[in-house]
Amino acid sequence: MNPTLSIFYFLSFLTVLSALMVVFSRSPIHSVLYLILTFFCLTGHYILLNAQFLAAVNIIVYAGAIMVLFLFVIMFLNMKKEDEEAKTNLTKIAAMIVAGTLFVILFGAYRKSIIGAYNPYEYNSQVGMVESLGAVLFRDYLLPFELASVLFLIAMTGAVMLGRREVGERHF
Amino acid sequence: MYPIILLSVLGIVVLFLGFMKSKNILLPATLLFLALALGSNFIDWNQGPLLYFYGMFSVTNLTLAFNAIVLISAFLIVAMTRGFQDDEEAQPAEYYGIMLFSLVGAIMIIGYEHLIIFFVGIEILSVAMYILTGSDKRNLRSNEASLKYFLMGAFATGIMLFGIALLYGATGAFSLTGIRGFVSTAAGAQSYILYAGLLLLLIGMLFKVSAAPFHFWTPDVYDGAPSIFTTFMSTIVKTAGFAAIFRLLSHSFAGIYDFWYITLAVITVLTLFVGNVVAVYQDSFKRMMAYSSISHAGYLLIALTALTAQTERSILFYSMAYSVATISAFGVLMLIAKEKSLDGRPNESYDAFNGLAKQNPLLAFVLTVSMLSLAGIPLTAGFWGKFFVFSSAADRGLIWMLVVAVLMSAVGIYYYFRVVIASYMKEGNTGKIRVAPFYQIVLVAATVITILFGLAPGFFEQLL
Repeated sequence: MNPTLSIFYFLSFLTVLSALMVVFSRSPIHSVLYLILTFFCLTGHYILLNAQFLAAVNIIVYAGAIMVLFLFVIMFLNMKKEDEEAKTNLTKIAAMIVAGTLFVILFGAYRKSIIGAYNPYEYNSQVGMVESLGAVLFRDYLLPFELASVLFLIAMTGAVMLGRREVGERHF
Repeated sequence: MYPIILLSVLGIVVLFLGFMKSKNILLPATLLFLALALGSNFIDWNQGPLLYFYGMFSVTNLTLAFNAIVLISAFLIVAMTRGFQDDEEAQPAEYYGIMLFSLVGAIMIIGYEHLIIFFVGIEILSVAMYILTGSDKRNLRSNEASLKYFLMGAFATGIMLFGIALLYGATGAFSLTGIRGFVSTAAGAQSYILYAGLLLLLIGMLFKVSAAPFHFWTPDVYDGAPSIFTTFMSTIVKTAGFAAIFRLLSHSFAGIYDFWYITLAVITVLTLFVGNVVAVYQDSFKRMMAYSSISHAGYLLIALTALTAQTERSILFYSMAYSVATISAFGVLMLIAKEKSLDGRPNESYDAFNGLAKQNPLLAFVLTVSMLSLAGIPLTAGFWGKFFVFSSAADRGLIWMLVVAVLMSAVGIYYYFRVVIASYMKEGNTGKIRVAPFYQIVLVAATVITILFGLAPGFFEQLL
């Protein structure tokens, strides 16, 4: 087994483990911290794929900015154990059946499918570099790239509109 | 293509117009912008199938016709807002801006050729709807509806994105043509990851058009949102959403029809059943309209399940008939709910319509025509809409589904006629309701369109 492959397996194991811990840990703070770990592991995968730019962006945007925001929100919410909504057994059983069925179906689908392999001699190892990424983003994907700004503009307008304080409203 | 660019730019212009002292210019400006977008839509008419931006976006006469329905509906709805002058807490510039931007999303998912465009488009449309649902900030039910819609919608988006990722994993392509190429190969027809991806993507899409069993958000959201935005949601989002599902299934997955038609048939029957039967038990007209929109999603799904050569035209005609009738029904509802308001909140129950016809014959007539059209009674556009949908199902030989659909239309007549009976037969003391001239024009125009296409549906075929 060559070193790249062993690093890949180690990273994958760590990713799956920390992703599972996000779901299983009781405290929301721990969940967020495990989610940060998951993002770091994904960044490792990006580096293995020779996509340095995506790796850097993933660290800065997801593991950095967004997760810090998550942490702040959770600290502001001040969640306590007893606030947890009590779920009936029926809900739990139904959720388990649905999730289990989905798992079995997806597992079966993966097992029975032949995933297309690439030819290592023809594969362009520079495909993940920032140069080819920029070329794709600003030529082939120009329209969705520009229109994503409309999405952000809507979200921003909405946030300002809904967050604006009205006359006579309670001031905290 | 042109309306996308125009609307993105003009939406920003509307936001800037909001800085002006006088808010009176906003309504005419928005209507002008919508008319401009509608005009620019027809630049590409009869230019044949065109692909824009490196095969990202496709334009055919069919997508242009869908764009036109969406833009005309938006024009009628915006004309009914009356500049939000009655509501001093309203923020008209933001509302109009968000409405224009959301149309960009609607047009994107009508003509997408690439799943990335589809995804960005549906997000633009959904995020705009989450905000407009919660725009009545002091109303607790509006807040609840917005939050519920946002959380469930975000979840559905996640499922949809997972489906797109699986499709990419199976086919190696995001474009509809690329996926079709893979599906037509022997390996593609047997790829289980492709099947899983298609199902997850369909679940996400069907959530957005509120098909059962993904409909649980619909009644609460339609009920809680301000009526004008409920109208927007139930016409534009539904039309665009069905155009998008039709595009996906007909362009990429027609080759594996035998796989997905069973799933879609079960969902269709369930949607028809839930929408129509639960609508019977509602006391509020607005909530009944929410369930009615679920049931109309069911009728549109029949055409999708059949997927014959006629399907595109039947979906187009049906969504046109449904949009126009819904707009006039909500238009009348908004007037009456405001007139009969209880404790400062609009009264949207059936009782509010009692005795409407005595003093307001025009409103009662408009309401009756729209209810007849929604129920599918002959001489209205809704009848021909149902007729085309049912005949395409008959071509495919889905007789059992037709039996269910006809039975459910019969149930529909019961609850649509309740409000007509209330306005003509029951005693009530509705005074003369003053209708603004512009508002009146919208109501009359919607009614005329409904009757015109009911008398001469062939006229529509010639337009296309």
